[in-house]
Amino acid sequence: MAPVEVRDLSKRFGSVLAVDNLSFDIEAGRVTAFLGPNGAGKSTTLRALLGLVRPSAGTATFEGHNYDELERPSTKVGAVLEDAAFHPGRTARNHLRVLAATGEHPFARVDTVLADVGLTEAANRRVGGYSMGMRQRLGIAAALLGDPEVLILDEPTNGLDPPGIVWMRGLLREQASRGRAVLVSSHLLSEVAQSVDDVVVISRGRLRGHGTLESVLGGDEGLVTAVRAQDDERLSRALRSAGFTVQRSGDGLLVPGASPEEVGVVAGDAGVYLVALAPQTRSLEQAFLALTGELTAP
Amino acid sequence: MSPLLRAELLKLRTTRTFVALVGASLALSLLVVVLTGLLSDESGPQDARDLFTADFTGLFIMLLGVIGMAGEWRHRTITGTVLAAPDRLRMMGAKVVAYAAAGVVLSLIVTATIMLVGTIILSSRGFDTVALSDLLDVLWRNLLVAALVGGLGVCIGGLIRNQVVAIIGVLIIGFVMEPALFGLVPEVARFGPTQGAPAGIQDVEPFGDDTPLLSPAVAVLVMLGWIAAFFTAAAVRLKRRDLV
Repeated sequence: MAPVEVRDLSKRFGSVLAVDNLSFDIEAGRVTAFLGPNGAGKSTTLRALLGLVRPSAGTATFEGHNYDELERPSTKVGAVLEDAAFHPGRTARNHLRVLAATGEHPFARVDTVLADVGLTEAANRRVGGYSMGMRQRLGIAAALLGDPEVLILDEPTNGLDPPGIVWMRGLLREQASRGRAVLVSSHLLSEVAQSVDDVVVISRGRLRGHGTLESVLGGDEGLVTAVRAQDDERLSRALRSAGFTVQRSGDGLLVPGASPEEVGVVAGDAGVYLVALAPQTRSLEQAFLALTGELTAP
Repeated sequence: MSPLLRAELLKLRTTRTFVALVGASLALSLLVVVLTGLLSDESGPQDARDLFTADFTGLFIMLLGVIGMAGEWRHRTITGTVLAAPDRLRMMGAKVVAYAAAGVVLSLIVTATIMLVGTIILSSRGFDTVALSDLLDVLWRNLLVAALVGGLGVCIGGLIRNQVVAIIGVLIIGFVMEPALFGLVPEVARFGPTQGAPAGIQDVEPFGDDTPLLSPAVAVLVMLGWIAAFFTAAAVRLKRRDLV
């Protein structure tokens, strides 16, 4: 049973279908990016998973259990939501002590997680005076308090400066290397692409892709081979006969969905001499945008 | 002590709201006691007894409870609170108990202080003071009222989530509606949650009339009824609500 299972999840707010029949799993020991443009339904899905909104249909569970059924949930799941809020008059240390009391964690753990996120020096300052990045770090400290098996982070790089983003990437990898399942949502692929193993891509509440980063955003469907031949017309006919689509591009051809090896074999079988042959992988961003419908193919 | 109750008590102790309300309540109650003690031409034991009962703690404790619950929405900390304690009813139940306990502490501080200061002033002026047994009688009644209005404040804050609206609503009920009811239909007003039923427990006439109050036992049951009604309404709302 996967650490996180989402099955046929739908959530409707009045006339708006925010999440539409969504299903995916995330695995232990891997960082999974939950990607989609703003308004795609990412936060609603995470909130359904965390028991904060009631699904209209389907389930979102941790090893088969709803969040509110978990014994001492902070030991199973740590979560940082996009609008993580703190009482402005309470210090960071006291905020974490309250959570430690609720989760039955020793107060010594508070100082450990404060050090982990680099807030030891500011621990006794009231949170009302914190920058957005410091609040983000405090939210992460709260999520780590119970040393949870699953870490859920909603847009965690918001408010972080470049060193903070690098730190966040390291944290994600470190948690995964310890066998934790990490689910990190973002509307910016570039923020997370360097540190994730798998991706779940949604748009308008529906699943658009799920698998490893390469298979979903950089795999065969994203591959385009550029080729030039002594006789482009013959090569084009041969490729079409082999089931590929062919586009003319400048003085050569583009073959979407074909690897250079496949194009080379077709050309060899047809007896066409090649002048140039090269893969043209779409950028991750282009693939992501095409997948989510944010980019119209030329 | 349950982890949730421990956490709620810690929340109370780690902001300035509780200390500020204790200070304000103590200052106002002392002002009334000192001025009355110094300016009265005559004072008997019953006058002194009433003086020690007519403090401002009830109002402040109710406001403390309202702020404690409605503040979760105002500061948007409700999401984190529910994530840490997903059973929303248990969370609210722990808050009710925590603010009842806070009410007892606040009332104990205020009542003991005004009793001490008031007794010193009265005896220095040669007036009769209140016997120790009567002081203890006043004390337990004040503490009981404090616990009940503290819990009720949380339930009101759970039902009316806009903190400002909830506070103004409590003030209007306490200072306008219930006094008006005492003037118009006192037999109904004695069941009120901010003045009527607490007065029955404390055995004081809130507006100096001869309206028969509820007996302390019935008044406690009435207060528990108010708490149950507001808790149920707030719980239904809290349970159903999507936290987006």
